[in-house]
Amino acid sequence: MEGYAKLKVPGGKLLATRIVFSDKIERIEITGDFFVYPETGLWSIEKALTGLQAKSAEVDIVNLVKKVVESNGITLVGIDPESLAKAMIMAMKNGVAGT
Amino acid sequence: MEWRVLKISENAACSNMAIDEAISEAVREGKSPKTIRFYTWNPSAVSIGRFQSMREEVNVERCRELGVDTIRRITGGGAVYHDKNGEVTYSVIGNETDFRKGIRESYEEICGWVINGLGQLGIKAEFAPINDIVVNGKKISGNAQARKEGVLLQHGTILYDLNVKKMFGLLNVSKEKISDKMIKNVEDRVTRVLDYSNVTQEGLYEALLSGFTEGKEFFFGNLSEEEKSRAEELSKNTYRSDEWNFSR
Repeated sequence: MEGYAKLKVPGGKLLATRIVFSDKIERIEITGDFFVYPETGLWSIEKALTGLQAKSAEVDIVNLVKKVVESNGITLVGIDPESLAKAMIMAMKNGVAGT
Repeated sequence: MEWRVLKISENAACSNMAIDEAISEAVREGKSPKTIRFYTWNPSAVSIGRFQSMREEVNVERCRELGVDTIRRITGGGAVYHDKNGEVTYSVIGNETDFRKGIRESYEEICGWVINGLGQLGIKAEFAPINDIVVNGKKISGNAQARKEGVLLQHGTILYDLNVKKMFGLLNVSKEKISDKMIKNVEDRVTRVLDYSNVTQEGLYEALLSGFTEGKEFFFGNLSEEEKSRAEELSKNTYRSDEWNFSR
C-alpha cells in the first residue's frame, strides 16, 4: 500500500508524508517547506519511523519522533511531532494498493 | 574579523548554489572570512527547499519550455521563482557564533539588514517570523537558513519587479497554503520594490549593500581559487544532477 497526505501546520509550514506500508512502515518520505536543523535530522526521523507498526497510535508516533528529536539535538521549525504524526495517520488512511 | 563582501554577480542556478556551499565549506575550515554575497540568476530559475518534492512544487515541464532552470537548495523553506531581472538575492555565511544565538534571533538579525537596505529606499519593511519580510502585510522577501557543523548560511531574495502570473505558472501553488491565510488571490500575498520606489535593480542592490554593511568592518573581495574550484565541482556533480534535484 502507498498513502499520501498533506496538511498545513497551524501557524507553521506545509507538511506532506508519502508512506509505503504493509503491516509495518516500509518507506516514508517527509516533504514540505519547513526547516530542520541540522538538515540531516530529517533523515534520522525517517529512519526511526521506518519499520514502525502501521497501526501505531498517534501518541506513540509523537513520542517516538520526540525521542529522536531530543536524542539527536534536532530543531524543527514550522512542523512539530504532533503534526507529523497526524500527517502520517492521514497518509496511511489514504493508502491504496498498487505500489 | 572583517566581513568579506562579494559584489553582485550574475550566474546560472547551479553556480549560485555551488558558490554558496563552497564558501560555507571554506568558512568552516577557517580558510575564508565571514562573507556577504549578492547575486542574480541567468537564466531565470525556480529553486525549491531542501525538503520539498520537485514534482509536487514545480511545473517542471513548463519551466523547460520557457528555459527556466530548476534546482534544489541546500536550505529549507519553500519554492521561489528567481526572475533574472526581477530580484536581488543575497547570501550571508559565517560561524554560528557570528550571529545572535537562536534560530529566530539570527533570522531577525540578518533580515534586519535587508529591512535596513529597503529603508534607504523609503520602504518600511518588517520581519515576519519565521523567515519572511513584509511590506504592508505582503511578502517582499523570503529567506532561508542552513546550519552545518557550526556554520550558518542564510540566503534570501528581495523581489524587485515580479511577473506574478508567470511565477505562479511555474509553481504548483498549494491550495492549503492559500486557504490557511484566508487569501484566495495569490497576488494579494506578494509585493515588490517597484510598487514603492522607482529605483533601478542596480539601485536596489546599492541600497541593500549599504543596508548590509552599515556599522560593519568589511572589504570588497573575491572568491579564492579554492572556492572557485570547489564551486565548479559542486555545480557539476551535485547541483546539475537529477539525483540531487529530484531526490524528493
